[in-house]
Amino acid sequence: MKIFISPPNSLILFDLVERFGHEPLGAMAAIQERIDNIELDMPPMNVTLDDVIGGLKYAGVEVPSGIRGRLSLWGPLIDTADAAIIVEDPPFSFGCVGCERSDEMVKYMLHRRGIPVISVKYPENSEEAKAAVGRIKEFLEGLK
Amino acid sequence: MSEERETRVFMITPNSMITPDQLVREIHAMGKGVTVKETCYGTLAEGPRESVRGVLKEIRKKHPYDIYSKVRAYPAGDPRRCRAQHGTKPGFVQLEAEWEALPMIQYGIQCCERGEGFDVPREKEKLSAEEFKKICEAVR
Repeated sequence: MKIFISPPNSLILFDLVERFGHEPLGAMAAIQERIDNIELDMPPMNVTLDDVIGGLKYAGVEVPSGIRGRLSLWGPLIDTADAAIIVEDPPFSFGCVGCERSDEMVKYMLHRRGIPVISVKYPENSEEAKAAVGRIKEFLEGLK
Repeated sequence: MSEERETRVFMITPNSMITPDQLVREIHAMGKGVTVKETCYGTLAEGPRESVRGVLKEIRKKHPYDIYSKVRAYPAGDPRRCRAQHGTKPGFVQLEAEWEALPMIQYGIQCCERGEGFDVPREKEKLSAEEFKKICEAVR
C-alpha cells in the first residue's frame, strides 16, 4: 500500500515504512521527477507555472506562495495515498526549513480524504521512540 | 518518478561501529554496478533502480539496525547540492536532527522485533491557574 509520510522528506519514516513492507510516498519522488524531466534551476525552490496552477487545487490564491508551492508537490501524493503517518511537532519543522501552515493543510487534506491516518508524537527519549515505532508497526501491519 | 535512476542515502547510526569507508567498500564488493559516494553520515548509492534495491536488500540483511535509508531526489555529486562544489544543502538540518534521533529509533525497532510491549506516552496537559499560582508563590 502507498503510505504518505509527514514530514514528507523524513529519513526515519521512509525507512520504517519500507522496512514494514509498504511503499512510502515522500517528497523526494516528486522532486526527482522535476529534476530528471524538467530543466528547472533548483527544484523544489523553483517550480513551473503548471505547478503553481496545480497548487490552486489545494490552496486558494490568497494563501502564501510557499504553502501553495509545497502543496503542489505534496497534494498529488496525498491524492494517491492509501494511508498516512503524521509525526507531530518534529523539531526541524520549526524555523526556516519548516512551515506550520502547510503541515496544518496536509493534516486537513488527509482527514478530509478519510483514509487511515496515524499521528505519532516526535520521540524525545528511548521509551517514547519504542512507543512510536511500536504504534507505526501495528498500524502498518494492520493495513495488510 | 524516473525509472532509470535511483539515488539512495544510506545513513549510519551514531552508535554504530561501521564507518562510511567500510560501507562504501561493502557496496563496491557486492558488484551491483552502482556508483557509491562516501559522505560524512554514510554513503550515497546511485544506479539503475533494480541494482540500488538489490544493494538495499543486502544491507538490510547484513546490518538490520545500523543503517537506515531513503531515496534522494538529486543525483550524487550534483553541483546544486554537493558541498565540495559550494552547493547549498537545505535538507541537511533535518538529516542532522534525524541522525541524532537514530539510536532511539534503533532501540525502538529492536524492542519491537523482540515483541516487547509499549506504553503510549501521556500527552502534556495545560498547567492549571492554581498550580501556576503555587509555583509563582514558591519562588517569590
